[in-house]
Amino acid sequence: MQEPLLQLKKLNKYYGSSHILKDITFDINYGEFLTLLGPSGCGKTTLLRCIAGLEAIDSGDILLNGASIKDLAPNKRNINTVFQNYALFPHLNVYDNVAYGPRVKKSMSEKELKTRVADFLELVQMSGYEKRMPHQLSGGQRQRIAIARALINEPDILLLDEPLGALDLKLRKYMQTELAHLQKKAKTTFVYVTHDQEEALNMSDRIVVINKGEIQQLGNPREIYNNPKNLFVADFIGDRNIKKVKVLEKNNNYFRIKLGSSIIDIKCSDYAGGGCNPGETAILAIHMDKMKISCTEIPNSFSGEVMSVHYAGSQIRSEVNVDGEIVTVIEYQNNNSDYNIGDKVYISWEESGAVLLPLEDYVEGSNV
Amino acid sequence: MNTKPKRLRTFYLSLFFVILYIPVLSVILYSFNQSPSTAQWTGFTLDWYKELFNDRVIAEVFKISIVVAFLTSILSAILGTAAAIVALHVTKGMEKKINTVMILPLLIPEVALGVSLLLFFSALKLPFGYLTLVLSHSLFCVPYVYIMVQLRLKEIDISIIEAAKDLGAGTGQIIKTIILPLVMPSILTASLLAIAISLDDVVISTYMAGPTSTTLPVHIFSMMRVGVTPKINALCTLILVGTFFIVGLSQLISKTRKQKEEF
Amino acid sequence: MFNLKKIKQNAPAVPIFVWTGLLVGIPLIYVVVLSFLSRDNLGNVVFEFTLENYKRIFDPVYLKVFYNSFLLAALTGLITLFIGYPVAYFTANLEPKRRSLAMGLIILPFWISSLLRIYGWIILLGNKGLINNLLLKFNIIKEPLIMMYNFGTTLVGTAYMLIPFMIIALFNSVDKLDRSLLEASYDLGASKWKTFFNITLPLTMPGIAGGFILVFIPSLGLFFISDLLGGGKNVFLGNLINAQVTKGRNKPLAAAFSVGMIVLVLIVLYIYNRITKDKKEGLFL
Repeated sequence: MQEPLLQLKKLNKYYGSSHILKDITFDINYGEFLTLLGPSGCGKTTLLRCIAGLEAIDSGDILLNGASIKDLAPNKRNINTVFQNYALFPHLNVYDNVAYGPRVKKSMSEKELKTRVADFLELVQMSGYEKRMPHQLSGGQRQRIAIARALINEPDILLLDEPLGALDLKLRKYMQTELAHLQKKAKTTFVYVTHDQEEALNMSDRIVVINKGEIQQLGNPREIYNNPKNLFVADFIGDRNIKKVKVLEKNNNYFRIKLGSSIIDIKCSDYAGGGCNPGETAILAIHMDKMKISCTEIPNSFSGEVMSVHYAGSQIRSEVNVDGEIVTVIEYQNNNSDYNIGDKVYISWEESGAVLLPLEDYVEGSNV
Repeated sequence: MNTKPKRLRTFYLSLFFVILYIPVLSVILYSFNQSPSTAQWTGFTLDWYKELFNDRVIAEVFKISIVVAFLTSILSAILGTAAAIVALHVTKGMEKKINTVMILPLLIPEVALGVSLLLFFSALKLPFGYLTLVLSHSLFCVPYVYIMVQLRLKEIDISIIEAAKDLGAGTGQIIKTIILPLVMPSILTASLLAIAISLDDVVISTYMAGPTSTTLPVHIFSMMRVGVTPKINALCTLILVGTFFIVGLSQLISKTRKQKEEF
Repeated sequence: MFNLKKIKQNAPAVPIFVWTGLLVGIPLIYVVVLSFLSRDNLGNVVFEFTLENYKRIFDPVYLKVFYNSFLLAALTGLITLFIGYPVAYFTANLEPKRRSLAMGLIILPFWISSLLRIYGWIILLGNKGLINNLLLKFNIIKEPLIMMYNFGTTLVGTAYMLIPFMIIALFNSVDKLDRSLLEASYDLGASKWKTFFNITLPLTMPGIAGGFILVFIPSLGLFFISDLLGGGKNVFLGNLINAQVTKGRNKPLAAAFSVGMIVLVLIVLYIYNRITKDKKEGLFL
């Protein structure tokens, strides 16, 4: 097997007495699009800055192609960063911004540089903008120049610190696809920081979910979305109904649980198997948009009374009272959606939309 | 809003500015008066300017003042900018100490500073003249450069400097390719201010001037002590025109800077 | 270990301390030493310890000089404050265009030769000056008013020279004032004057103290103003030191007076620090 490109080994970082990064250990592979995902203040940007060399680490090691880089200054690491606010040099035009890296490293002649800059401007679809000053560019254009300016150095890894945060929603969606394409085209490893789970799920090959300085889960978007390892990930990714349930029985593949008066079977998730035992209380987390409301009785479902129905474009968001617990369901409009407030309904879900998790890290009120 | 306080405001400000500028305007006005006395306005003339241009002494001290002012402004620009960049690099505690040390020369009354330099330089047997003038003028011009450059440095987004580092630039390259170009307008404005301060200084120059190197303000001061003559008015008016040229220049610099960098 | 890193980081600061040390620190120490030395009949400094120079400061004649200087500096501070506060306050409340015009007019005098600005007052106030001319012409007075060469003229000149410093210090403070605080005060039923004394004035105290310092310190030493406008009738510290150095050739005595002047400044700076201790605003930065 090929050696990983970057290895993080038991990385720790403190700011004064607060422990920002706790024993961070994982590998980054050649050519992948890896996303560090977590709420603000979770340490993901600090981790990125440690990789870039802009912050020193307190213990642990960082290996690039097998060699430790933890004591190298940022200008000696073959890693480049796209900053949150792009950090284009305001006094230099687009050409000089992109040419900055090769020039300070004196790695090529001005003539070579000219074709290189042209190549990379073309890569980010900004040919013809050479003479523009940064303040004459739109947010999305600045973004692309910042990427070209970093990529021209042919870094082993490109670090991107919430680069879409400053853009408006529409442009952000567009740039998501664009960035993913660009990454494949440039064949460069991207490490991307965001707090936006949708962005992460859309673009990444793998996602590292971080909270309070600790890795919560590492996996591909599908795993992260469908098989959350713990309650934090379950709650942070997607919109889920999170309910305390009673575990009644455990078969090979199924748990039999009880919510209110409804008794149902839940498929074991990859992670939850060991944590939940018959007789204990556990957490049931179901994606709201993988649930369905039916007016006729169906097996393996919750029954309850419709409390409210909101129409939001093509979607309907309904709240159903299941023996005192409010369950939210998000559905696309279809022929079956002719239920009204007060109706007795039955709620079912796709198997992959539900997970059962042990109670241990449940904190009343804070998770839901 | 009711208009009464507004009218009071306009009246007060207008009155203040009139009083602020009347002395200046009367100096200019009487530089064109035929009569050598301010007692009467006898008609318009440019004679006093002609006389001025024929005055060898004034031409000589003017030359000295200009040379001193330029050397002062270059030295202060270098020292003040270097200090501001250093202050950016050191620890917070050290930055505070540097701030205090840098404004120290402005906290000591000029006479005391001038006398102490006079006594010290004569103890060192330093020749009084260009060297002592430039050193002493720089002493209180450096703080202005420092303050103005530091204000500008604080405006620079730290991630721009990190970006340069990230792209492979060392400290020297960052200063040369990023910091200096970005603070250059402030350095230029501060240098012009240094020229104006140096050209205007009476107190310290009185002590620092050598036997053959009096500055223009020291010379004008001695002329004024003898008595009022429209020649002084003419000289002052010319200096005013000169400094306003410099002010205009500095305004132009800051304007182009703003146009260039507004995001 | 952390010390070594810090030392390395702070090492570039050394030249700054050398520069200021050479041109401010050592000369001042030298002056202090000199103030305790004697001189011979020819005016040469003799290395012999004496307190004579300091005893002479307490001579009533010289004490009067200290008193005059302090009075001039303090009154300059007060006058510029009372005239300058409304200017700063009104300017801060102007609409943007007029505001930058007013700021320009306030800053412009910094660029105008200070000798010219003092000379203007000679032309205005002299016995044959502009004001006397006008008053005589319109028969308001029969004899020229004598306005030159007294304490008042020096005070006017000094205040005129330094008022831009005061206004800028005040303006920065007034401008930082959170307008919503004033609105809240009106809203709670306070009158304009009450709001001014209870909210605006205390919140702009750092500006007032800072402006006072910026005016007080230079006014101790601008000897050319009292020379030109005061006519030497009232002797101030600046004139005295200047005269002792240039004419009297009594360097140790001049040194002692300089030390006295600096002590006066230190006292004022100490009071300033006490007043603004809890506030973050610096004098210049």
